Amino acid sequence: MNQPDKEYLTVALPKGKLFGLSADLFAKIGYTAEGLSDQSRKLIITNEEKKIRFIVSKTADVPTYVEYGAADIGVIGKDVLLESQKDVYELLDLGFGKCHLMMAVPKDRKRARLADYANTRVATKFPHIAERFFSQYGMQMEYIKLNGSIELGPIVGLSESIVDIVETGTTLRENNLEEIAYIMDATARLIANRVSFKLKFDRISAMVQDLKTVMGQN
Amino acid sequence: MENENMVLEIPYGTRDFLPREAAEKRALETRLARLFGGWGYDEIVTPTIEYLDNLTLSGGSVLEPHMFKLFDRTNRTLALRHEMTTPLARVASSRLKDEPLPLKLFAVGPVFRYEQSQTGRQCEFYQAGVELMGSPSPAADAEVLALCVETLRAAGLKDFRLYLGQVEFINGIMEQYPLTEAQQAELRSYLEKRNLVALEKAVDAMQIPVPAKQALKKLPLLSGGEEMLEQAYGMALSEKSRRALDNLSAIYRLLKAYGVADAVQFDLGIIRDFGYYTGMVFEGYAPGLGFSLCGGGRYDHLLSSFGNPCPATGFAVGIERLLLARAAQGGAAQTAATGVYVGYAAGRDASAIEKALALRAEGRQVELAMRPQSEQEAKRSADARQAAVVYVA
Repeated sequence: MNQPDKEYLTVALPKGKLFGLSADLFAKIGYTAEGLSDQSRKLIITNEEKKIRFIVSKTADVPTYVEYGAADIGVIGKDVLLESQKDVYELLDLGFGKCHLMMAVPKDRKRARLADYANTRVATKFPHIAERFFSQYGMQMEYIKLNGSIELGPIVGLSESIVDIVETGTTLRENNLEEIAYIMDATARLIANRVSFKLKFDRISAMVQDLKTVMGQN
Repeated sequence: MENENMVLEIPYGTRDFLPREAAEKRALETRLARLFGGWGYDEIVTPTIEYLDNLTLSGGSVLEPHMFKLFDRTNRTLALRHEMTTPLARVASSRLKDEPLPLKLFAVGPVFRYEQSQTGRQCEFYQAGVELMGSPSPAADAEVLALCVETLRAAGLKDFRLYLGQVEFINGIMEQYPLTEAQQAELRSYLEKRNLVALEKAVDAMQIPVPAKQALKKLPLLSGGEEMLEQAYGMALSEKSRRALDNLSAIYRLLKAYGVADAVQFDLGIIRDFGYYTGMVFEGYAPGLGFSLCGGGRYDHLLSSFGNPCPATGFAVGIERLLLARAAQGGAAQTAATGVYVGYAAGRDASAIEKALALRAEGRQVELAMRPQSEQEAKRSADARQAAVVYVA
């Protein structure tokens, strides 16, 4: 088992659209490091003076690093966090990266009620969340896990519907899909390893306070 | 994959302890049994299988989906024990109910839970459970906590910490404000998962004054040393939460006398997953281990569910987790003493047996050859076992 240095606080940041926003936010409370970029070839970037270390990882892996304690804290979208089913503490809603999860179907093949889709196929990157949603309505579905371009599913006849995240809805419109059920909102969250939150409580809670202050939440 | 390399599978979440691992586990369990004995605790052994109804009498229903269940010949539901406290409470309140109190018991053995298996988090795992029954006093809680610290020290851990809280403190704080049962349950579940985002949202949505909201939002952040208790008194408006803090102060004073206070901190937001706790609760953590090492607390009503009311307090510690945490901290595992390999020439078997017996009487670990060998062969056999060679020519 990996034992991160006790003096350092290790932060896992996801590559992609949340990266810049998270890095900017940490910079505002004085936590940054030279060469911190998601294009960097270096996977670990350390600020010796502030005793902080950044890990830049693939989005879906952030909850894993944090659950195992390889990173003390991390930034991740609520959608990915919920889907990962990882056992971590959720400390702060960072407010950015806002999107929502929904179910969409091809406009021309829309059925009257949600229940009419029972026992059909759903293409999604979020099978766990989708299953939880449909089971609330007593619907059993066939989940087809895809890793990208979910909209393609119904177009090529792979599935009757999709469950995916939407920011503006442009992609849905361009592909003749229509949202028929809202599932949940998602924003970026600050998460912490359960043991780190206890053993490094002072540092982590001070950081949460600082973040709240710069975000104007206090 | 080729068949020749096939290893037969074992059920999900179980493991084999190979000789070196088994030796480490045995050594640790022996050391802990000696420690518990030294503190006046007697060992008892309870069955691995019990009636499901008995295991879920008090707040165990949450864990029921995680239990291994089977039927007996009359179709009563049995379950593999999922922890040690409930079986010990059952024995204490039935077969040992006429013994003088307090009753001090411990048990070491495997317990079973369906879990998503990880290193140190198996479906079958070994636990040592220590219970002190018959005393409602902070002295009993302090003894249990001090013994828990000694347990972690005896296991060879240098770096660890216990976090101490009290369920009545949280309950008292919640009762200060007009919250419904459902709202309290919701907050408790967020506190247990430390989902601060959901907690804040839920609190913000409540129709209560601003100071009340601030107090509730602070609950999961009440972590720190003795000074934190002072701060908590400022929040405690109800008799119940003040009494809880008084109790924690009384325990802490005794922990200082035991010389273990530096290993104990307060975390007043702790909610343990077992529903039967009524007083102080605690959890132990070490760096390098992503989950708790040990946990426990006071459970004054559990024994009354078995028909014999009696206050009780105790803890359980995971044997594999102790071994993992020690390895992560670079602690030396007890290596087996170097053995001796006794080889012999043809016709010298009787003398070789005599030699082996003599060496064993000295306390050496001796392996006797099963057939005559040349001195060269005996040397090779000894090397393969990393043992010293003794040759009877």
